[in-house]
Amino acid sequence: MLEAFMLQASSYAADIDFVVNLVGVLVGFWFFLCSGVFFYFIFRYRAKDGVKAEWITGEVKSQKNWVFYPHLLVLVCDVFILAAAIRVWVDVKQVIPEENTPVRIVSQQWAWTFVHPGPDGELDTPDDITKIDELHLETNRVYRYELSSLDVMHDFSVPVFRLKQDAIPGRIIQGWFKPTMAGEFDVQCAEMCGIGHGLMPARVYVESPEQHAMWMAQHAPKSLAAITAP
Amino acid sequence: MAPLRTLRFLAAGAVWALAISASPVLAEDAPTGEQIFALCTQCHGSVGQGNVAVAAPPISGMDEWYVAKQLRKYQTGARGKHAADHEGLKMRPMVRFLKTDAWVDNVAAHVAGLPRHTPEATLIGGDSERGKGLYGPCAACHGQAGEGVQATNGAPLVGLSDWYLYSSIEKFKAGIRGSDPLDTDGAVMRGMAMILVDDQAMKDVIAHIMTFSN
Repeated sequence: MLEAFMLQASSYAADIDFVVNLVGVLVGFWFFLCSGVFFYFIFRYRAKDGVKAEWITGEVKSQKNWVFYPHLLVLVCDVFILAAAIRVWVDVKQVIPEENTPVRIVSQQWAWTFVHPGPDGELDTPDDITKIDELHLETNRVYRYELSSLDVMHDFSVPVFRLKQDAIPGRIIQGWFKPTMAGEFDVQCAEMCGIGHGLMPARVYVESPEQHAMWMAQHAPKSLAAITAP
Repeated sequence: MAPLRTLRFLAAGAVWALAISASPVLAEDAPTGEQIFALCTQCHGSVGQGNVAVAAPPISGMDEWYVAKQLRKYQTGARGKHAADHEGLKMRPMVRFLKTDAWVDNVAAHVAGLPRHTPEATLIGGDSERGKGLYGPCAACHGQAGEGVQATNGAPLVGLSDWYLYSSIEKFKAGIRGSDPLDTDGAVMRGMAMILVDDQAMKDVIAHIMTFSN
């Protein structure tokens, strides 16, 4: 359902949508069922001439069953939701795939700084590419992010990735994502962070391996030897 | 049914008209400088006196041309786009509120009209006498009394806090300011900042600049 409104551009977007849809379907089912029963009773036991209103205390077993059995069934639904949610939580939040490319994300009032590894694929080397409010990624590559904040709490949110992670001052939070669709997508801060909160959007550019290599070649700091080479 | 349909159309029209009238984007006239300045007060203080806690410098009484120029630099990315310029990155999105040149001009005029701030000294260890000698080359652009010179794009220094001056010189020396190709004035200042070879020289010249305000 959700994919009809927003693209699924990461490897785990569909899994997260499945959980959201599951919750929506189960909660929706009970909502409409309960509402139907509720309005049926209102209609069935509406005020009638010659019928005196009755005070129901809910102590009679046949009356209590109207709560007891649905309650058990709702708990069964909860088990399904929990099982699906835990599976997704472990995949998305607990296990970072071993083969990955690091990228550093630094949040501050009111900007995002993205440090991309250069051609060597490692951070903290001279060929790192630092960009403000621009994150460049390659399709079908696993990225391990290191998220930090320089000042207050922020939240790195890429809706099409179904990624939303708080950035907490003093902590470096690691996680991962794997973009699966080329394109240009929104990054937003999803944690109220001050007067400029609404003014700190960024963009994520997901490129094919060839395009990404070209971007990297254009932006990676050149060594002195490379610049002076004939 | 017909009256109900008419009523629906009227209600929809009223909501649309309300949305249009409330939308600042579609407003033809720019707000007054005072109205725009209300946003600036969040960091720069109610009268533009600055706030060291959020690294916002005093701006009250600064020359209109200089304020407008800096705002435009932020708009074009000539200033405040370096990854290490954390304060600049904070200011950068705020200029997105300024939708047209008229907004920039209005708020710059308002800031220029505010009573100039008299900063308190917070840096220690500076010798204003030694700084007087070091200030010689600075005077060529910034004026003998730090009043700023538009012809040389020299920023007014009088009224600025010492912590802000220190931070700015550090940024120029490190290339955090003045290294963007669009910031030609900044590039000049970047070279000049190198004259202040060490921490003591920076403190000395700042101590001298602080005498302009006092």
